[in-house]
Amino acid sequence: MPDVQVLVNDFINKLRKRKIEGSQATSRQTAELLRSVISQTRVPYTNQAGALIDAVRAVGEQLIAANPVELAVGNIVRRVLHIIREEDLSLATAAIAGLGLSSVSDDEDDAERDNHPVLSAAVVAAAARSTLRPPSLQTLLEDVPDSGAVPHTSSSGGDSEGKSKSADKSSRSRKLKHDVIEALNELIQDITTCHELIAEQAVEHIHQNEVILTLGSSRTVLEFLCAAKEKKRSFRVFVAEGAPRYQGHLLAKDLVTRGLQTTLITDSAVFAMISRVNMVIVGAHAVMANGGVIAPVGLNMVALAAQRHAVPFVVLAGSHKLCPLYPHNPEVLLNELRSPSELLDFGEFSDCMDFGIGTASPLLHVVNPTFDYVPPKLVSLFITDTGGHNPSYVYRLIADYYSADDLVVQRRPPTAS
Amino acid sequence: MWWRSASFILDQRHLQEDPPNDIASSSSKQPPDTLSSLSPPQTQNSTFMATAADPFNPIPNPKISAYYQTRAAHTAVVTSDWLAQAQAAVGHHPDDAQAAQTHQPLLAASPSSGKSFCVINEFNNWRKQPDLAEAVAAIRALAAVIRASEATTMMELEIELKKASDSLKSWDTTSISLTAGCDLFMRYVTRTSALEYEDFNSARSRLIERAEKFGEISCKARRIIAMLSQDFIFDGCTILVHGFSRVVLEVLKTAAQNKKLFRVFCTEGRPDRTGLRLSNELAKLDVPVKLLIDSAVAYTMDEVDMVFVGADGVVESGGIINMMGTYQIALVAHSMNKPVYVAAESYKFARLYPLDQKDMAPALRPIDFGVPIPSKVEVERSARDYTPPQYLTLLFTDLGVLTPSVVSDELIQLYL
Repeated sequence: MPDVQVLVNDFINKLRKRKIEGSQATSRQTAELLRSVISQTRVPYTNQAGALIDAVRAVGEQLIAANPVELAVGNIVRRVLHIIREEDLSLATAAIAGLGLSSVSDDEDDAERDNHPVLSAAVVAAAARSTLRPPSLQTLLEDVPDSGAVPHTSSSGGDSEGKSKSADKSSRSRKLKHDVIEALNELIQDITTCHELIAEQAVEHIHQNEVILTLGSSRTVLEFLCAAKEKKRSFRVFVAEGAPRYQGHLLAKDLVTRGLQTTLITDSAVFAMISRVNMVIVGAHAVMANGGVIAPVGLNMVALAAQRHAVPFVVLAGSHKLCPLYPHNPEVLLNELRSPSELLDFGEFSDCMDFGIGTASPLLHVVNPTFDYVPPKLVSLFITDTGGHNPSYVYRLIADYYSADDLVVQRRPPTAS
Repeated sequence: MWWRSASFILDQRHLQEDPPNDIASSSSKQPPDTLSSLSPPQTQNSTFMATAADPFNPIPNPKISAYYQTRAAHTAVVTSDWLAQAQAAVGHHPDDAQAAQTHQPLLAASPSSGKSFCVINEFNNWRKQPDLAEAVAAIRALAAVIRASEATTMMELEIELKKASDSLKSWDTTSISLTAGCDLFMRYVTRTSALEYEDFNSARSRLIERAEKFGEISCKARRIIAMLSQDFIFDGCTILVHGFSRVVLEVLKTAAQNKKLFRVFCTEGRPDRTGLRLSNELAKLDVPVKLLIDSAVAYTMDEVDMVFVGADGVVESGGIINMMGTYQIALVAHSMNKPVYVAAESYKFARLYPLDQKDMAPALRPIDFGVPIPSKVEVERSARDYTPPQYLTLLFTDLGVLTPSVVSDELIQLYL
C-alpha cells in the first residue's frame, strides 16, 4: 500500500502543476494508477466489490480535486467504478445461476435459520440487475436494496450452502480482482488506440476534392486527415492558426510533410473563408452529457460561422473524453485562464500594467481562456472510436460506460455501510 | 393555386347542430365579478348537480375537464383582501377549506353504492388534498381497491384492478398523469417477478405497501428534482415561471433555502390566475417576484436567464403538455436563445405522440372574461398546449437530468 500512496501523491502533484498535457496522456496515466491501486488493495471475503469501490473512490476524489478542469481524470475514475460493478454483477449472476438449482430446495431451511424475510434468488438477481442500471421507470415502484448490500446477499447465499463452497469463495475473490484488472487493461488499450479507430472512419466522411477547415492542432484530426490521404482521397485543408498558442502552424507543417495541400489563415479570417469550405473537422477537450463540447478557444466562433453557412461541424473525440456531467456554467467553471504573457509581451506593456491613478486595480486586464463551450445544437456529428453519433445520442454512450451512482465521486461515509 | 378552404364555417355549422354547450352560455351570462374566481367553480358544481341526471356518471358534460377544474380549485386566488391578508400572515389557506367544501356536496350527490364506484370516490377523496399529485391519488385509490377486494388469486386481483383502472381513466380522459399513474401501477402489478415466489396474501400486502409508499416516492421525487436543478440556478439570475407547478415551487424553495440570490418573473396565467398564487408563495419565501401579464413575456424575455416550467405530462417525443401558454413562452425563449427547463416527475411520462396542438383529447375549461360575451362569439377554451421537444433544453426528473431525446428511450424500456 505505501508505494501506491507514493505513486498517487506523485500523480496528484503532476496534475496540480498541470505538467501532463492532453487528455489522452492524462487518461492513460490515471487508468494505470488505478490499476496499481486495485491490484494492491486487500479485499475481504465478503463484499469485495464494495472494498474495491471504496478504495478507488478515495483515490479518485483526490485526483479530481487536483485538477477539476481536466475532466478526463473524472471520466476514467467513473469508468473504473462502473467496470468494478459490472464485473461483480456478472460474477454474481454466474454464481446464482450455479446455485439456483439447489437454492430452491434450501429456501425453507433458510427461512428457519435467518429470521428476516427471505429474498428468493430471482429477486436478488433482479435487484442486482436494477442497481446496476440507472434509476428508470421500471424500477420506480420496486424496493431496491442498497447497492453495497447486493454482493453481500449473494455471497451470504453462498454461505448457506455450507463449507463445501469455501474453496469456491476464495477462488471467487481472486477472480473479481483478476476480471477487473483484465477489463482495465482493455480500457488502457482502448485509450492508446483511439486515434487509429477514429482514423479508420475517415474514408466515409471525406470525399474527393473537398475542402476541410480546422483550428489549432489536434493529434486526432491529424491522424484522421492522413488516413483519408492514404486512401487516395485528394482534398485541401484550411488551418486556422489558433491564437495565442499558434498551434495551427505546427499542424500545417505536419500536414505538408505528409503531402496534403494546406492553407494557413488567421482566426479572424474564418468567417470570410467558411463559405468555400465543405466541412469543419475539429478535436475536443471533453464532451458533456448533453452533447455540448468543451473545445479549444475559438471553436465556438467557428461553429457559429459553420451554422450560418450550413457547413457540417464534425467533432472527433475518443470515448475517454465523454463526461457524464451536465454543464451548467461551462464558460466559467470548466475553463482555465492561462498566463497573459501568451498575449502580451511584458516589456512593451509594463507601464499599462501599473495600477491606475487613484484606483486600486490596474486599468489593463488580460484574459486568456483556454477553452470554449460549443452548445449541442451547433454540432452535426460526433465521431468516436465506436462510430459516428448524433449529439442527442450521447446519453446512450454515457449509460453504457458509466453508472448513475458514480456521478458524485465521494468517499462513502462509514455509517452508510 | 390551392385556396385555403373556409373550413371554420363548416365546423361551426357542424357544432351548431349539436346541442349548445350549457356551461359556456351560463358562464357568459355571469355577473362580472373578476376578483372572485372561486365563483366559476361553484357555478360549475351547481350545474353539475343540476344536470347530473345520472349520479353514476360524475361528469355529465364530458367537454369540461375535471382535471383542470381541480387544478383551478387548488391554485385559484380568491379575493384581493385575502391576498393582502395572506401577505401579512403565513400558512393558513382559507381557499383550500372552501375548495374542500365545494367538493363535498358533489360527493354527497352521488351515493357511494356498489363497490365499482368506490374507486372513483376514493380517488376524489385523495385528489382534494392540494399537495398530492394526481398519479399518487390514482395509485392510492387502486391500493384501496386491492384492500377491499375479495379475490383469492393474482389473476382475479389483476382483473379487478384492470377494471378499476379503466373506470378511473374513462372518468377523466384528459388527465395525463392519471392515465400514466394507472398504467405504471398496472405494469408493476403484472410484471413484477418477485411475486412469483410468494403466496397470495403476502403478495397482496406487498402491493398495498408499495402503493402507499408511492406517495413518499412522489415527495422524494420532488426533492430529488429540486436537488438536481440547484446547480443550474446561479446567483443573480432571473427565472421566468409559468403556471403553478408544485415541483417548480419546490425547486425555488430549495434554492431560496440555499441562500441563492435570484428573482422570479411570474406570468399571470389566465384564466386560472395561477401566477397570483405562485407569487404569493414566493413572496413568503422572500424571493423578489415580478408579475407579468401573459402578453408581456416577449417584452421581458431579454432580462430573463432561464425559463422554468412544470409539466402535466411528458410525451414520447420528449415534448411536454402543460398549461396553455407554455408553448408560446418556449417559442419566445428559443428565439432569444434562453434555456427552457422542465421539472417533471418520471411517472408523468405517457405513451402519447401528439403531432400538432389539436392531436390530444380536448381539455376545455370555462373562461370568465368578466363581461357578457355574445353567444355568436366563439371562445378558445382549451386548457393546455403541447410544446415540441426542440424548444426544450433539459428535463429535470427523478431519474436524473435528461435531454428530451432520452424520454422515448425510458418509455421503450418500460413498455417493452
